[in-house]
Amino acid sequence: MILSYVRNKHATALDGPDGTVMARALVEETSFAARVEMLVSVPGLEITSVEAAVDRCFAGRCRDAVPLVKKAVGLRVGPGIIKLVNGEMGGTGGCSRLADLILECCEQVILRFTVDPLKPIMEKQGEEMVEAYKEFLARNPRLVNSCIAFAEGSPLREGVELEE
Amino acid sequence: MLGFSRTKWVGVERPGENVYLAHGILEDLIYGMEIDVRVEAPEFKITAVEGRMRRTTTPECPKAVPVLQNAVGLRLGTPDLVSTVNRKVGREGCRHFANLLLECCDAVIRCALFDKWPGADESGAPSREEYLRGQLKDMPFLKNSCLAFHTPDS
Repeated sequence: MILSYVRNKHATALDGPDGTVMARALVEETSFAARVEMLVSVPGLEITSVEAAVDRCFAGRCRDAVPLVKKAVGLRVGPGIIKLVNGEMGGTGGCSRLADLILECCEQVILRFTVDPLKPIMEKQGEEMVEAYKEFLARNPRLVNSCIAFAEGSPLREGVELEE
Repeated sequence: MLGFSRTKWVGVERPGENVYLAHGILEDLIYGMEIDVRVEAPEFKITAVEGRMRRTTTPECPKAVPVLQNAVGLRLGTPDLVSTVNRKVGREGCRHFANLLLECCDAVIRCALFDKWPGADESGAPSREEYLRGQLKDMPFLKNSCLAFHTPDS
């Protein structure tokens, strides 16, 4: 069966030589194509620049939303950013697709800094891995209740003392 | 150096006039997972969902697979779809599954939106603006959702 609709989305985070992180997200689909590129400072995780383009769209008006992405400059990749980005760039006068690509870039930055601490944990097996995850959770209390692995009753949370 | 990379792919099939089957794949440095979602029009209701986890981080992650069933019955047009999926599928299960499920849902909406476009070269074809206005009758939840669907009279 021939597909009626296709979406391809690709996002990356690149470590810059000056210690910054460059995040890129692009989407290519049947009716739309766009890309966003942003620079994020480290360790503050402040968005210092954003560039965007709508390469293909059904309604030409979509391109009018491109300048709105500049409103992301100055925001910090962290709690609250989803609401801020959707509020400033999505909604009636904006483009939810561009807002989504900005948030994809933010997600890449977060995941980029998640890989390194996960690596040594995932090399462990059995009880050693469980204990390593408990230490990880104690150091990252924001993860409590973020998913089933860190929900109440999970063995990865058992006995973990969380800082207030 | 490349610090992280994620690719998501969604394909939508139309096995029947009112049925949309979305297949979504998420592959990144850490996770690998797939989802199949069935959505039925005109309610745009999720009637079935299945998922598979290929690569995960913790031994608890596979427990999120049955949690996907929390999405069955949700309607894509409800204004709180994103927060509901993030809570009922993400926080109670896996947030990457929730992310992929929302990607599938959005692709189904776009598929339905542009499915009837006859092409600008067809004789008697409406303008693109007229076409979108017409589609809003079938998909009223898109009204005022963005610049392209902004209707000044509302």
